Amino acid sequence: MKFLLILFVFKANYGEINMPITISIPTILRPLTGDQKRIEVDGSSVLDAIERMEQQYPGVKEKLITGGEAHRFVNIYVNDNDIRFSEGLSTRLADGDLLTILPAVAGG
Amino acid sequence: MRINRTLTGCVMKGPKSITPDFAPIATSFLYQSEALGMQTVANENCAGDEALCFEFETPHTAPVICEITRWADPSRQATVSENIMQAACGLMSVHGRTHRQPKPLGLNYVSTLTAALALQGSIAASIGQLRGLPVSNSTVSMAAAALLSMSQYIAGATASESPETAEATEATRPLPGLSPACPPFVSLDGVIFELETLDAGPWQKFWAELGVSSAAAGKGWRAFLLRYARAASPLPDELPLAISKLTYHRISQVCARTGMAICPIRSIDDRAQDDDARQIWQQGPWSFSSFSSEPRPNGEYLRPAGALPGEDLPLSGFTVIESCRRIQGPLAGHLLALLGATVIRIEPPGGDPLRGMPPMAEGCSARFQTLNRLKTVCEIDIKSAAGKTEIRELARCADVFLHNWAPGKAVLLNLDHGDLATINPSLVYAYAGGWATDCAEHVSSNSMPGTDFMAQAYSGVAGKVARAGSNRGGSLFTVLDVLGGVVAAQGITIALLNRCMNNVGAKVTSSLMSAATLLCADDFRDIYSLPTFGSKPSASIINEVNDVYATRRGRIAVECPDMDTVLRLAEVLGITAGIENKGFQRCLSEVFLSKTAGQWVELFQHAGIPSAIVIEDLADLQTLAHLQPGLTPGSYTQVNSPWRFK
Repeated sequence: MKFLLILFVFKANYGEINMPITISIPTILRPLTGDQKRIEVDGSSVLDAIERMEQQYPGVKEKLITGGEAHRFVNIYVNDNDIRFSEGLSTRLADGDLLTILPAVAGG
Repeated sequence: MRINRTLTGCVMKGPKSITPDFAPIATSFLYQSEALGMQTVANENCAGDEALCFEFETPHTAPVICEITRWADPSRQATVSENIMQAACGLMSVHGRTHRQPKPLGLNYVSTLTAALALQGSIAASIGQLRGLPVSNSTVSMAAAALLSMSQYIAGATASESPETAEATEATRPLPGLSPACPPFVSLDGVIFELETLDAGPWQKFWAELGVSSAAAGKGWRAFLLRYARAASPLPDELPLAISKLTYHRISQVCARTGMAICPIRSIDDRAQDDDARQIWQQGPWSFSSFSSEPRPNGEYLRPAGALPGEDLPLSGFTVIESCRRIQGPLAGHLLALLGATVIRIEPPGGDPLRGMPPMAEGCSARFQTLNRLKTVCEIDIKSAAGKTEIRELARCADVFLHNWAPGKAVLLNLDHGDLATINPSLVYAYAGGWATDCAEHVSSNSMPGTDFMAQAYSGVAGKVARAGSNRGGSLFTVLDVLGGVVAAQGITIALLNRCMNNVGAKVTSSLMSAATLLCADDFRDIYSLPTFGSKPSASIINEVNDVYATRRGRIAVECPDMDTVLRLAEVLGITAGIENKGFQRCLSEVFLSKTAGQWVELFQHAGIPSAIVIEDLADLQTLAHLQPGLTPGSYTQVNSPWRFK
């Protein structure tokens, strides 16, 4: 009975828990992250993770976000899914998610 | 109709007879020469089977021998042709990624590229002469041209960090069943068309209105975005399925509401009826206008400020300012750098985002380095007053200013050719755009993004590729970005020669659309009912035999120029059934399975039958001895300059 109660509390607060996730850092941002290719941060959403990254590595956020949205020439993926097609910067993160940042590419 | 024939007074001498494998190159070379106003004449001195030779002469320079060889390695004389070179240098595989098997492009692509590079080389050599360089010969090979077209894909396949070889192999591996859905799309009423947007917003709204799930649209967006880099775009089935339920008219309405661009796959006949098509075909892929109002004494522009060129390249000492993104414009700047020019590349503050596009090599995108490794970078905010002042100062001392901004943007920035000519009358001002002009309001096509795949669709190139390959249309290989980059660099080199000879600056405009016209110049000639330079083999049996075949190991491409060669092919293969027999091609497919591609190629070389092993993994190119003169291994494999001067 006690075990079940603990499980219930965990589930009820799931949305508030900061999940450890991995962020793949593009080369263009590595001067800001001490040349690290991957970093681990906690975050319940993409925005949360970026803000926590900003605390450790100032300057990163402005390279990714403008006017409350991701820059148009930056693509952010949670695992293989573009956040624009989910809930944008509010997209929720789960334990072990991989957040990848890629520049857009086109021809012409 | 006003056509500025920039090289009137110059002469191009060429051979009286041309071997069949060089015929498409010669046709394109002479078309370009005549479009520039040159007098073309036959010359006995230009004869020879080992190379195609022309002799270029200006009123102010000694003749330059323009030599076109098959391979960069002069000792290799294996017979080649357009499709054989496409097979041997990986182009067939890249184009075939969407079909999961190598396919010929269906265009005289390598031939056109070779002709454009050869002409540019001879013009650059003449500039070198005028500037005191002892240069009298310019050489280009078909293989070098083909490798140049593959340079970004080769970089991706050989990058030191996570190269794309495995992924490309996966995309090209033959699988049972249908190929995955990919652009172009087909509407309910059977219209084949391209969609284009450079932003996720319109894509998202468009598919939402068609009832496609956000998850499927998102997966499709990533594949759609990466098609420029990977030449493949596997889309979730939901997307083409949703399209197939609506008419083209209805889809166009949704596009208009959501900001998505749409363009049907047109034929070259359609394109030929456009108001501007005939003039572009007649004037060639460049439009020149002189703007110097202050003629200078002869010789003033021949030697730029600073020391005389110390290196041995024709454009050494010239300065090019480049404000370009993506592929076409940066490739033009890269080619000028390969000819010796100092190229200063303007990038936005923080650098071009494409520097971070995987795969990486030593901290920078391998693809990006392919086009930009020789340039000096200057970060400038071109929209700020300080940035514009900085650009004007750079242009004041430069020889060339090159941009590929959106139509109308140069005027808005007060950085149009008139603005810069005022401060530097000797400047060559170059615009390398998507459509035929940089006037925003000129034609309806200008409302669409001027990207490779839209230009392929609008120009008729995609339709031609479709007819040749029995597919829906177009290539996800960046056909026009690469040729457009070559044409832009060529136009700048022509304008520099004109400046050296006539002391005038100029504006030169080129585009993906004008490159498309160059690529299909023969078709326009046929439509406009004008005589051809050469004859074309038309026998259907030859077309049926010329194909890609599976062998015991690997694939082989065969391209017979005439019936005699088809008969020799049948003899080497030991096929006794008559070549007119309907079962001949099936028989070919079966016999090819008895030996490896390498064994067949060796046998065919002895018999003078054009053939090549089809390169399916681009990383293999650097291991082939006959291609090594054109490649430099390193953190990614670099494609070397296509030109040799002596």
